[in-house]
Amino acid sequence: MIALDNVSVLYGRTVALDALSLALPPGIIGLFGQNGSGKSTLLRVLTGLLRPTSGTVTIDGRPVRSSDESLRARIGYAGHASGLYARLTLIENLELFAGLHDVPPARAQELLANLGLAGRARTAAGELSAGLTRRAAVARALVGDPDLLLLDEPYANLDDDAAGLVTNTIVAWHTPERTCLVATHGAKRVKPYAHAGIILQRGRLVTHGLYRREPVEAT
Amino acid sequence: MTFVAKTAALVKKDLRTELRGRDTLPPMLVFAFVVSLLLAFTLPGSHDLSGRIGVAGAKLGDVLAGFMWVTVLFAGLIGFGRTFEVEREDGGLDALLLVPLDRSGLFAAKAVANLLFIAAIEVPLIPLFALLFGIALGTVWPLLLLVVFLVDVGFAALGTLFASLAAQTRSRELILPILALPALVPIFIAAVELTSQLFTGGDLRAISGDGWFGILVAFDVIFTVVGALTFEFAVD
Repeated sequence: MIALDNVSVLYGRTVALDALSLALPPGIIGLFGQNGSGKSTLLRVLTGLLRPTSGTVTIDGRPVRSSDESLRARIGYAGHASGLYARLTLIENLELFAGLHDVPPARAQELLANLGLAGRARTAAGELSAGLTRRAAVARALVGDPDLLLLDEPYANLDDDAAGLVTNTIVAWHTPERTCLVATHGAKRVKPYAHAGIILQRGRLVTHGLYRREPVEAT
Repeated sequence: MTFVAKTAALVKKDLRTELRGRDTLPPMLVFAFVVSLLLAFTLPGSHDLSGRIGVAGAKLGDVLAGFMWVTVLFAGLIGFGRTFEVEREDGGLDALLLVPLDRSGLFAAKAVANLLFIAAIEVPLIPLFALLFGIALGTVWPLLLLVVFLVDVGFAALGTLFASLAAQTRSRELILPILALPALVPIFIAAVELTSQLFTGGDLRAISGDGWFGILVAFDVIFTVVGALTFEFAVD
């Protein structure tokens, strides 16, 4: 269970999150809102990479701190940037992060195949198109086999087929005890498989609710 | 993977990235080579390193040791400035900060990679200095290697720590030397004093009995420990 209690984030005079309180149960959760609504900030706060100006964030009762090594091991995060080393090939990038997360290198191959990137395994990450880079970023976030997956606009620059591969990979990864937050400004790709949704506006919670309780299967 | 294996994997990543991109070493090498050539034209071609030159009457050995280490210092700062560039591109630092590895491992990996980059500059630079200025390294080269290694350890540790601090700022290229140079002064004074002794025929007894040797070792230990312990606060 992820709990946010009165969390605010200020960038100078700009309020990115405004006294946000939420309790997120396991499941796939869509995080919706317009540009500047605080989606990316919320994801960064959940990773521990961004310390809130006030309020507390806990995961299973433990305060989120980037210095907490065991907590970091449970988090997979793909932000706006890919987090890939441009001069390393895709497989080198994923095997590096697999090793750092104590996961067998075979996981990297598996993810590349699931995301339709097997043919690009030996391509330098810096030479990939925007859409392929987005898929590769999702693969990097998943390579550590996390319990909490945080994806920021994973469908950006993706055509329908590629978006389907990303959706299927997320759904295949998900188990009832795992949590995934998918931030996007367009809800239509996430709603069909998300268990719940949250809408933010100007850093505040507008509404949240369940879409379904039953598990979703990959198509 | 163990702590050491993860750290080694990150060092390998930095070396592989540099071998493919050649972003860091070539500017360092060019700087060191050009400065050495300029000095070769400005300093006397005398082979008497104990001889005194200039108005102040400094020993040529002191002057050459000083110039050699100043060249290494500024070439190193060029390299340190790029330490975190590869991490900043495409959000690599965020991804790295989320891996389950103690921050001291990240520090060690960056410091070792920087140490190797500095060593890669010194491998051609020191023989070039010896050649250009007629420095007979003869039997002192193992001792010189020891001094060079000790200087490099402290230099890489401190440079990596300050590069991580500077990387958080917009004007990082300006901030890095402002932060690092004052702190590096003791290491480089020790480096010049010890190297000058070796250039003018000093032996192991002479340099190990010298207070600067102890200072150099002490600073290495302090900077390495402080760097490993405070790196977390610098990058978070």
